Amino acid sequence: MHDVINHLINTVFGLGWPGWAISLIAYLLIATILFMIVPFQMLFLTYFERRAIARMQDRVGPNRVGPEGIFQPVADGVKMFTKEDIVPDAADKWVHLIGPGIVVAPTMFMFAVLPWGPGMVPFDMNIGLLFFFAISSVSAVGLMASGWASNNKFALLGAMRAVAQMVSYEIPAVLSLLAIVLVTGSLSIVDLITFQSGLFISSSDVPGIPDFGLGWFVFTPVGFLAFIAFFIAALAEGERTPFDIPEADSEIVAGYMTEYSGMKFGLFYLAQYVLNFLLCAITAIIFFGGWQGPGVGWLYAQAITPANPAGNGLFNVLAGVLGVFYFLAKTYFFFFVMVWVRGAYARLRIDQLMDFGWKLLIPLTLVNVVSAAIWVGLTKWGAADGLAFVEGWAPLMRWAVAFVITLVMNLVAYFFLVRVYSQSQDERARLDDEVLERLTNVA
Amino acid sequence: MDIQRGNIIVMDRRRGTLRAGQGLLQGLKVVWDHWVGSFRKNDNFSQIHGTFTIEYPDERMKLPQAYRNMPVLLYDDETGQELCTACYQCARACPPEVIHITQAKDPNTGKMVPASLEFIIEYDACMSCGLCAEACPFDAIKMDHFYELSTDNRMGLMQRKADLNRPVSYYTSIAPDLWDEVKEGAMKKLQGSIKRRPDVIGIAGHLSEKIAARRRQLAAEAAASPPAPVAAAPAAPAGKLSPEEKAAKLAAMRAAKAGGAEPAAEAPAPAAELSPADAKAAKLAAIKAANAAKKAAESPAAEVPAAPLDEKAAKLAAIRAANAAKAAAEAPAAPLDEKAAKLAAIRAANAAKKKSE
Amino acid sequence: MRSDRVGVLRLPYHYAPTTGGELMDLLIQIIFGLISALVIGAAMMVVTMRNVIHSALWLIASFFGVAALYLLMEAEFIAVVQVLVYVGAISILILFAIMLTRSNEGDRLFTTYWWTSGLIALGLFGAVLVPTLAGTIWNLPQPTGPAGAPEVLSGVEELGRGFVSEFVLHFEIAGVLLTVALIGAIVIAFEERSRRRRVLTLAEELELRKRQQASEHSAVAAADSVD
Repeated sequence: MHDVINHLINTVFGLGWPGWAISLIAYLLIATILFMIVPFQMLFLTYFERRAIARMQDRVGPNRVGPEGIFQPVADGVKMFTKEDIVPDAADKWVHLIGPGIVVAPTMFMFAVLPWGPGMVPFDMNIGLLFFFAISSVSAVGLMASGWASNNKFALLGAMRAVAQMVSYEIPAVLSLLAIVLVTGSLSIVDLITFQSGLFISSSDVPGIPDFGLGWFVFTPVGFLAFIAFFIAALAEGERTPFDIPEADSEIVAGYMTEYSGMKFGLFYLAQYVLNFLLCAITAIIFFGGWQGPGVGWLYAQAITPANPAGNGLFNVLAGVLGVFYFLAKTYFFFFVMVWVRGAYARLRIDQLMDFGWKLLIPLTLVNVVSAAIWVGLTKWGAADGLAFVEGWAPLMRWAVAFVITLVMNLVAYFFLVRVYSQSQDERARLDDEVLERLTNVA
Repeated sequence: MDIQRGNIIVMDRRRGTLRAGQGLLQGLKVVWDHWVGSFRKNDNFSQIHGTFTIEYPDERMKLPQAYRNMPVLLYDDETGQELCTACYQCARACPPEVIHITQAKDPNTGKMVPASLEFIIEYDACMSCGLCAEACPFDAIKMDHFYELSTDNRMGLMQRKADLNRPVSYYTSIAPDLWDEVKEGAMKKLQGSIKRRPDVIGIAGHLSEKIAARRRQLAAEAAASPPAPVAAAPAAPAGKLSPEEKAAKLAAMRAAKAGGAEPAAEAPAPAAELSPADAKAAKLAAIKAANAAKKAAESPAAEVPAAPLDEKAAKLAAIRAANAAKAAAEAPAAPLDEKAAKLAAIRAANAAKKKSE
Repeated sequence: MRSDRVGVLRLPYHYAPTTGGELMDLLIQIIFGLISALVIGAAMMVVTMRNVIHSALWLIASFFGVAALYLLMEAEFIAVVQVLVYVGAISILILFAIMLTRSNEGDRLFTTYWWTSGLIALGLFGAVLVPTLAGTIWNLPQPTGPAGAPEVLSGVEELGRGFVSEFVLHFEIAGVLLTVALIGAIVIAFEERSRRRRVLTLAEELELRKRQQASEHSAVAAADSVD
């Protein structure tokens, strides 16, 4: 984007504007494009979810507004806009007003570091991953504010649940990402993606692997476990169905959204779906290579890049289109998995949710971090780091040894923890029976 | 997977360390199977996969013949005589007591005759139990299949006799087997009650009014000179005419001629005596209209999904025929012509339906 | 490893400003002033608001302002960690604590000795501020580094290395302290098994009622048999 703007202003028109002005224009342009894309993504996601979940329940879903009901979300949007905006008398007017804003704003911020295709990232921050998760935790404040300001016990309960859930599931999410960050040695999302070239084995781990854009993290034991843990945590953070207790309709009306109507409610809805999209996108990026796929790496090597200024502009476009296609395909696949999970599982109780997060996911991801350290030691370190014995091995050999060791470690940890967890659950059930027994005896 | 209804499937929980997480995957598998299966239609309802949805405004459920919604009154297609004799059996049987009947009297003698003067059913309170139809000894009250009754006017749900009257042919179109069972007895009883009905009493309301109007007119004409009834017919519709429209108009004109050929002096004669000639004309018109409808509805294959189309075309032709007949009737024409044309329309619709099926 | 990466407010390297440097400086001065005003204003609101929840929300705004100041100093890692820790965790904790403990909102607790606590606070604040102000060298000359790309101070690696080499003791003490706090929280929240209570589910209530009825029935039967 910088290149195009710079070329237009300084070369074509010859205005000779300073770099910061061009940067400003470029960033404003990117932000505008993103703000136009995001609501449409959300509209499509709601439609997609409703159609897919309907299919899973042997129904048809919305199919009357436009061809195959594609304009249903537009109709819903019109409805939202024209609805009356109700603020309860006992509500705290200002906090009630800014609550949805605080919830939506972070989800928009998170797009700043999201790469769409090769060379297509709004801002390549060197701590992009950290930024992503730091900003996502801000929306908890908005939830809390809107839940409290509604002056409604269901809203407050929903907000409490939402925040407790977000805070506890951020830990396994970040721990599973920590393993990946250990392996790549970078917090930049772009670096994470470029790391995942190769064919089942990352070409960054083993040099000389042909680049088919398939060296995804999910093919390693560390990455696989991290993926499972992260995706479960993402379901909890996005308040998707097995973990949708903050807005459990059958228990607490609609949680923190209870007292909202019209477009403020629409903003919550928007934030939720945009967050879901972002979580699917970040899953696709971190564990499934983002825009990496067969052909993109080769196309991008021919294109104009800072490393290759003499490239062909056509390849920029081709690599971009293919990369965005791969990226969106993966993202929508994960959104489909979210819908699939919603169709399959029932809602957890809050104690089950907390048990699962704290007793199973966090120990599992902690073990995974250790596995990641072993992986890094075996594939990257040498005599200088105190690992002299791996010095003579071939890279593929080192990779294979690391694979086997981490696989065994993760499997053992998984089965052990699951056993401990199920025992603790049995114990809890036994205790519940005991309580019941005691109550009966008292009566 | 076929499941027997009423069977309880006990799932094995399979608790164990090595199977941890398998239950979750099984759940996903079940949902996946439904997702994959949902892309085909589930027709026989014994399957658990496939889409069950009947997309209502576009598709309708095939209703069983014995389906019952709201009660209607039947009258004979050819003579227009109502089957109802105002015996009050239905009003007595009605649990919410929404049926109100007034029996007709002979204007000359003041005696009760076996026909209803007014017949009201309050649809808003009717509970579709069908007891009235069961109680009716003359098979005059039957349960309709029409269910799109919602309205913004509650009083619109108070149905008078004119709203309730349906020809027998309509009932045979929705429940042929049920009608076949009772047809003979009903018709025999109808003949019996017709004999005891003087003049136009007992003829479906919208027809008897026409008959009375026509009689007045004929009486007036008898005083004046006889006009040319046909001349006025082509005046109303102008411009291009589609083939089926032409055919319908032809039928209407012929019917008008047949009606007009009746000697005007015979006006005070009973309506029943008028009927044979009219019936002939009506049959003629019906055949023509049916042909026209068939021509209009030349769909490539008489498949089931094509049925609505055929029906629509047939209805269109029927409406046009009725319009043409009305246009002809605007000029001094026999009032029964219109009846004939309407009958023709109904027949055409039936024929089209039969053909499409 | 990432020598070509630059800071948040710095521009991509191949568009380093050739002209307009003074304008950029002025812009940064203005932004700094605005953010400082936000931080100070929000902090004032924290202590003057009647409603304690509003105070907490203003505190969050203040935290954000501080994060923005870090960004202006190109310490983006610290800025992001500020958001993650203070906004994402600590303020949530504060909100939770307020909502779980306070039953009546909006009343101010002014004791007769409010001025003593005020004096103590002022004294402590002064004890920190005065030496800092006295020890600061003002009017430092602008650094005149070599032209071209400025050196990268990403901060993450330095911070990491510092934690495991130079400040390892501090780091470990902080870790142990947090673990102790965690264990303490568990101890406080732990319920003994004998005092365990919880809300019964509907099915359990039904079961309970059934059992009660059964026991009553058996008692009646026993009484009958005695008679």
